Amino acid sequence: MLDIRNLKVSYGLTQVLRDVSFSVPEGKIVALLGGNGSGKTTMLNTLTGLVKPGGGSILFQGQECAGIDASDFVKRGVVQVPQGREVWASMSVDDNLELGAATRHDRAGIKTDLAEIYELFPKLKVHRRRNAGSLSGGEQQMVAIGRALMARPKCLLMDEPSAGLAPSIVADMVDTILALNKRGLTILLVEQNIGVAAAVAEYAHILQSGEIAFSAPAPGLVDNPAVLSSYLGR
Amino acid sequence: MMLSYILLSGVTTGALYALVALGIVIVNKATGVINFAQGELFMFSGFLAWALHVQFGIGYPLTLVLAIAGGFLLGVMTDRIAFQPLKNVDVVSLVLATVGIAFILRGVARVIWGGKGDYLTFPPITSPEPIMIGEIMIIPQQLAVLAGAVLIMALFWLFFRYTRAGKMMQATADNAKAATLVGIRTDRIYALAFGTGTAVAAAAAVLAAPLTLLYPDMGFSFFIKGFAAAVLGGLTSLPGAILGGLLVGIAEALAGGYIASSLMEVSGFVVIMLVLVIMPSGLLGARRLRRV
Repeated sequence: MLDIRNLKVSYGLTQVLRDVSFSVPEGKIVALLGGNGSGKTTMLNTLTGLVKPGGGSILFQGQECAGIDASDFVKRGVVQVPQGREVWASMSVDDNLELGAATRHDRAGIKTDLAEIYELFPKLKVHRRRNAGSLSGGEQQMVAIGRALMARPKCLLMDEPSAGLAPSIVADMVDTILALNKRGLTILLVEQNIGVAAAVAEYAHILQSGEIAFSAPAPGLVDNPAVLSSYLGR
Repeated sequence: MMLSYILLSGVTTGALYALVALGIVIVNKATGVINFAQGELFMFSGFLAWALHVQFGIGYPLTLVLAIAGGFLLGVMTDRIAFQPLKNVDVVSLVLATVGIAFILRGVARVIWGGKGDYLTFPPITSPEPIMIGEIMIIPQQLAVLAGAVLIMALFWLFFRYTRAGKMMQATADNAKAATLVGIRTDRIYALAFGTGTAVAAAAAVLAAPLTLLYPDMGFSFFIKGFAAAVLGGLTSLPGAILGGLLVGIAEALAGGYIASSLMEVSGFVVIMLVLVIMPSGLLGARRLRRV
């Protein structure tokens, strides 16, 4: 569904991604792992139009997307749940979710989707009029995911959804990711938490200094000491 | 009686400052930049209205609408010329660019409308005869200014509370990256912010013109009062801008009425200094630093 071929990104003279190729098949969860500074976030930002690539191609459902605007990525169905959640802290949960549908104009559809998201995250419904900034980290993560879902994505790119959450909340997050995938959503998951990746993803790519250093089925990764020590520095 | 008259005129000019402050706050909220051309945009829109109303004989209501539309376009042009090309550069360049716009507008206004005497008079929309309500003498134009200002503020409140465009502006101001990620075209939002900010200034100018007369150098004085009001209100708060405007207007009227009329011009500076020293985040401002 999402095919990345020979993607190159530089910030000034610094090459952040060098010749990266991998794909995310339709209906699957693929994990992208790597330490700090390995280029994971740059990868997601390039795949959602925040960063323009210096070369290579991004094919989504066979269509070339390299270089198109962020809003066009959203319209085509590629939506990012950013690292650190980035909710609109001074706006209500309702407003946060409704603005997730900023590129849509079907009022009735937006309304049903909003109801569906409150079904998926009943906690949010209770707090729907509260400012998103006043919610807990786990609840803000739900807002961030719900907001992305309001765009009716076909492919969801999640940047470290487990970061900064308590272990019990991380377990809920794993369930949420699996539930979204079961509904047919294709997911590219960027993680530092290898346990989360192994629990949800089918396949994993390890990014190191802007290159794919290793690729393997995800469930086996936790038992692979060579991978852990050499690529993630643990 | 003296006091009530002073208060009324303070509230009236205060309402005008509040509108100028609203324009400053809207732009600052969305873009993080103080538009130093706000006063000149106000002045220019006023002259535009004068040309439409006095030179071309267009009726006052239509003049108001056209001036607001013209102000919106001027704001969008400011965005395209002074903000978009520089938004990734440092703040000082952005601020200087708005100062440059201010000088250009003042120069152009002098060329077009200068040399027609010191002040251009704008005919009042209401009868110039003062009316007495109880003991208070009121110039009807003051009531028109107040009513207009209240109407514009109400429209703004509705805009931010109920429209999608208003909410998109709020979201962009709150977190621009998140706004981009949901597909909001943030450069259009910035243009919209500059446009609406200037449209408010234009409305204020058309309301103010019959009371204050028009002259090419009027912009700076209104900018300083409006900026003082915005700073007093906290620079990012719309209700704060309105409250700030009224307080600056009343303070100025009291200083002029009871101390010396020469104090009226400096009252804005005094307010800015006091606020920055005593409560840097203003009355209703967010308790955090923003780029100014």
